[in-house]
Amino acid sequence: MLPEERELALNPIVQESVQHNKRTLLNTRNMTASLFGVAAGTLGLESYPGFLFYAVLSVLVSALVHFVAADGRPERYFYRPGRELWAGEVLGPLSSYVLTWTLFYGLVRA
Amino acid sequence: MNPIAGLLNFIGFLLLTHAVYSAHEHSALFANLPPTAAPTGSPAVTSLPTDIVLETLASVVVLCVGIVLASPPLKPIQWRVWAGRIEREERMTPEQKARLGNRRVGGPGTSGNPFRVLEERMGFWDVRSKRKEFADWVREGGKS
Repeated sequence: MLPEERELALNPIVQESVQHNKRTLLNTRNMTASLFGVAAGTLGLESYPGFLFYAVLSVLVSALVHFVAADGRPERYFYRPGRELWAGEVLGPLSSYVLTWTLFYGLVRA
Repeated sequence: MNPIAGLLNFIGFLLLTHAVYSAHEHSALFANLPPTAAPTGSPAVTSLPTDIVLETLASVVVLCVGIVLASPPLKPIQWRVWAGRIEREERMTPEQKARLGNRRVGGPGTSGNPFRVLEERMGFWDVRSKRKEFADWVREGGKS
């Protein structure tokens, strides 16, 4: 038996909770991504600074989920906190970020 | 949604609306200015004033905190923690459950208590009454 299998047999994981947490994180990321797009468009960011802005604020959201929503103990709520919390669902909401970014850039600079 | 999250979201939304409107007015003001009226070194004209930038960033941070606080609470993934909390919730009165609100682990829309199978197992079989029923049936002629 592999060590990981053995660990899962001793301390089983509830799939239902894993999915609930993943969905909650995805919802948070989607909402905040559109919000970041509004801010980036208002500030008039272009090209790489805009993507850098998204990266920095995504780290902020991850930190908030890590310390506020998960009480600073993400291993209780995410199976692999590094991959599922800090890197999880970052690239999906990027499209909604670019959408609101370009929309508000056009609205404000018109 | 708890009241603090609602308040933060409200303040953040207000700040963001004001910042976007200010930025729009700023760009509209300088777009309509004749080229001679604009000070030389025009990058300073097109860039936003510092207060609008700061207001936008502050509103984003406030809204972020509000959204994270307003999101439904995470559920424990370790089986023993999860099952223990469900077991405790089963014994609560409806008022206690209502006070727990969306921090409940079980409740509608979830698979519920994993130990319910053990709670609802069948009792002992009453052999004497079954035997009497069978005897009556035989006495009546054995037709079902």
